[in-house]
Amino acid sequence: MRLSNEKMKILCRARGLSQKDLLEQSGVSKTAYFHLLSKRSVLPRSIQALADTLGVKASSFLVEETEEERVRNIAHLTKAIVAHRPSLDRDDVRHTLLLLEEEPIERLRRALIRGRKNNLR
Amino acid sequence: MIVGAAAATLQGAPVVTQDIDLWFKDLNDPGIKEAVQAVGGAWVAPVGLNPPMLAGEGLKLFDIVPTMHGLADFSDEVRQSLVMSLGSARVRVLKLERIIKSKETLKRPKDLLILPALRNALSAIKTKRKRVQSRTD
Repeated sequence: MRLSNEKMKILCRARGLSQKDLLEQSGVSKTAYFHLLSKRSVLPRSIQALADTLGVKASSFLVEETEEERVRNIAHLTKAIVAHRPSLDRDDVRHTLLLLEEEPIERLRRALIRGRKNNLR
Repeated sequence: MIVGAAAATLQGAPVVTQDIDLWFKDLNDPGIKEAVQAVGGAWVAPVGLNPPMLAGEGLKLFDIVPTMHGLADFSDEVRQSLVMSLGSARVRVLKLERIIKSKETLKRPKDLLILPALRNALSAIKTKRKRVQSRTD
């Protein structure tokens, strides 16, 4: 589940609100909003505050992303980043983008399990 | 504050680690000993050039880092660190830029090995952040 920026823009426009207005009125910080846009996890309180401000159900601006879409989006973003910075290693960029989809504690758990198993890097 | 490779992985760097390095403002802070005892561990005082160590089942993953090479002092670094939620705890995490800076200074073989991955990760994270921000402007 991810917040759809496109749906948010449509809902805001229909109510004559800018996104800045929406964030101010709902009390949601810009940082929390970026988090909602870039993560698959959601922040229930922020989501509810946005829904209340817009007077809609949260399902109006949340989108379900299939695993295939998620992987495709990461591949697309990897390609764009490497095209912009050709010196970057494609695998490192892709792995980083995949890890950014997870919660920090999961990233750490994964790194520790692999580190203790392999004693690499 | 969490530093080193563990701090890098928390921020999304695709590296692995064997332990979680902790950097304290004051190693004599009684709060450290209390926290260690609360999880049934023991605080092993520094011996000669050896830094203090943590012992006990619940602390096997943790190491203490007395100094961070190439960086400013703790007070300066902690000001620009990140605050992250790990379960119910909120912890200070040294920023990836500063981890890179420290490893560039240390230049140990294991540091040189992961530096390219850390630099690639930092670029990817920054670019992704910029793209997300530009979508909301």
